[in-house]
Amino acid sequence: MNNLSRRSFIQLVARTGASFALGSFALIACASPKSSREQAKGESFSPNAFLKIDADGACTVTISRSDMGQGVRTTFAMLVAEELDADWTKIKVVQAPGDSTTYGRQGTGGSSSTRGMNKQLRTIGATSRAMLVSAAAKQWGVDASACKTENGKVIGPNGKSLGYGELTTAAKAIPVPEAVPLKDKAAFKIIGKRTNCVDSTDKVTGKAMYGYDVRVEGMLYAVCLRPPAFGATPSNIDDSATRKIAGVVDVIPIPSGIAVIAKNTWAALKGRDALKASWSEANAAVSTATLRADLKKAVGEHKEIPEGGKVIEANFELPYLAHATMESLNAVADVREGTAEVWSGTQAPDGAQAQIARVLGIAPEKVVMHTMLLGGGFGRKFSNEWIMEAVDLSKRVKKPIKLLWSRECDIQHDSYRPMSEHAMKAAVDASGAPTGWSHQYLQAPGRNGGNYGNNAYLPYDIPGAGMRSGGTGSPVPTGPWRSVEHSQIIVANECFIDELAKAAGQDPYEFRKKLIKNERLRKVLDSAATKAKWGETMPKDMGRGIACFEGYGSCIAHVVDVSTANGIVKIVRMVAVVDVGTAINPKGVEAQIQGAFMDGVSTALKAAITIDKGGAAESNWDGYDWARMSDAPKMEVYVEDSGASFGGMGEVGYPSAPAAIANAIYAATGKRVRKFPIKLEELV
Amino acid sequence: MAVFKINVNGKMQTIDAEPDMPLLWAIRDIIGLTGTKYGCGIGLCGTCTVLINGVAARSCQQRLEDIGAAKVVTIEGLAKTGLHPLQKAWIEHDVPQCGYCQTGQIMAAAGLLMQNPKATEQEIKDTMDGNLCRCGTYVRILDAVKSVSKGSK
Repeated sequence: MNNLSRRSFIQLVARTGASFALGSFALIACASPKSSREQAKGESFSPNAFLKIDADGACTVTISRSDMGQGVRTTFAMLVAEELDADWTKIKVVQAPGDSTTYGRQGTGGSSSTRGMNKQLRTIGATSRAMLVSAAAKQWGVDASACKTENGKVIGPNGKSLGYGELTTAAKAIPVPEAVPLKDKAAFKIIGKRTNCVDSTDKVTGKAMYGYDVRVEGMLYAVCLRPPAFGATPSNIDDSATRKIAGVVDVIPIPSGIAVIAKNTWAALKGRDALKASWSEANAAVSTATLRADLKKAVGEHKEIPEGGKVIEANFELPYLAHATMESLNAVADVREGTAEVWSGTQAPDGAQAQIARVLGIAPEKVVMHTMLLGGGFGRKFSNEWIMEAVDLSKRVKKPIKLLWSRECDIQHDSYRPMSEHAMKAAVDASGAPTGWSHQYLQAPGRNGGNYGNNAYLPYDIPGAGMRSGGTGSPVPTGPWRSVEHSQIIVANECFIDELAKAAGQDPYEFRKKLIKNERLRKVLDSAATKAKWGETMPKDMGRGIACFEGYGSCIAHVVDVSTANGIVKIVRMVAVVDVGTAINPKGVEAQIQGAFMDGVSTALKAAITIDKGGAAESNWDGYDWARMSDAPKMEVYVEDSGASFGGMGEVGYPSAPAAIANAIYAATGKRVRKFPIKLEELV
Repeated sequence: MAVFKINVNGKMQTIDAEPDMPLLWAIRDIIGLTGTKYGCGIGLCGTCTVLINGVAARSCQQRLEDIGAAKVVTIEGLAKTGLHPLQKAWIEHDVPQCGYCQTGQIMAAAGLLMQNPKATEQEIKDTMDGNLCRCGTYVRILDAVKSVSKGSK
């Protein structure tokens, strides 16, 4: 076996992101030094970096994508366990460190984990199962085809059975088979079943470990004072009061601010608050008002709409949104001579490992990047800059550093969902058929787009529909926020299609239904309308709204009932029908749709980041208002698979939610939403 | 710095720290119990909730010097053995998603039911409104607490 050339092959596969062919499945087993050591011990069977079967029958699945509450640690284990025919009660999961050479792409986002890895994981399970069967068959002197597997056991034609744990040594001697077929859906015993999250017990007992729970011998704590305005730099730093605080060890200016190093978190926080500095005037003139004015100035000519018909126009204003994960950013870094060990909840552990290695000038194999559970992600935890801060400080201080971004750091130095302006124009003819649609989608910051493209992100058949993307300058740092551009485009689209329905003199559900191109989307829309009893007369001050979305390989429709009695918006009920193709864990899908709806409630009615004097005005939950238990309506979530292949579901529950709420408010009040978060006094 | 002796989960702990150190950081950094989490530092999110003499309290708002002889219970000490009925309900209803807020949620619910074992749905909402869940697991939290409360079956 030529290990050197095969190792290069594995690296090539990992870098190009090619899906794992069976050849590389076997090669990983040969090249991985860890599994070689275990094979030498003769106790466990580890055919691949993702699966290990112990002599006691425990099956440990290594999860290479980050779990931020979307349940990938559970669904990935289910995919392997299904094809393995494992005993689900003997399944354990461990988290992979950041290491793309061994695990391939690990970046977790874009609702892409299941779509990206389902085949590979099922193949791992199926191939391992085949090897266990061959091992048993050999032992019994029977044909492998005469054996079957069930619940962690191989069962022979003679009624004999051997647990997987009893076959580990024998299985290692079996050559890795090529092209093992995967199960037919009809045979699924684990996939598709409502399954509890594998981490539930740890999460309710306090045993679950997040980044800031890690303790390293000799570690010091760090909290940073950050600029009050984006791009501002400090001068006249006065740390005299800080250094007098008991427990403060040092004060270190770094590119992103001024770090206080201390013996515990409280001393670091107090030290941070006692720092005095002058800040440069960078961007001090920038505010929400100036940014909004710039966006409105960037609205240009609409795409041509045919003459003769009813034409409508509207502008929608969406704000900056912070991610505000419940677990604020943090990392523990232990940088030594030639090595580094780091712990953090990151959506890009592979990127972190590579970046740490580059910055320290060491080989990636010398960096152990532990991927912790994430207390929320929503797209924030990709950029890894907080990890690099901890690494930098540990290198300077020559001690392990535990870095905390306080809630204020986290909200005021987010990579926000950009603020956007949506100028919309559309028309229907005398028969109520749409004749044109023009969407100018402008965001701050954003590059100036130019021409209208045909992709208007519309699931509707509207002739000549077009969208132009553009942008204006802004010093506000931005990044992907759950569903990214859909969180803006779809909200505007689904509000405006409702208005077009009205212009056509038609019911918003019936109007959409006629125009939908995708049968899967039409089915969920119909199902939602039926289950929500669309068309009922609503009581006074109540309204029912509808919206739908197709994306990430899945389809969803929302029907929302709101009350506007006493001038207060209250979401009373939500009905959602979602088709994720094939749900791995319907319980998990429901949870995601419920949670994404609460994001919809929060951003439709409460949350916004405003910019004042070049910085974020909000700093904690008092200013950045988020939904509480009382804001949650009765929710009915129906998971109705079309049987299409596995779709994504981390983000699909968001985009149509705020629009359905806005449309319900119209139904209750007769007035339209133009701005988010919605205020009844601003309806038009 | 001063030395404080406080009762945490039935055990006396000796803490050598500044008197104004919030109980949250004494529990996490000095005693080393990390089940109690930091969410905001200003008493708004409830993530840091513990029980002090059986009453739910935000540990980020309690100073070491004010604890005295009070009995502090953290998530690690909620169940004497095994799992507390609330923890079992949380698992049965598959409540947690990212899980970060959940120990605080459970302690807040425990405090409520200790004071009011027959809490109604509205009473549960009124109390649990104090605890933020960014993942939006509220409907399952409500169901879990209702299943344990004797007042809202």
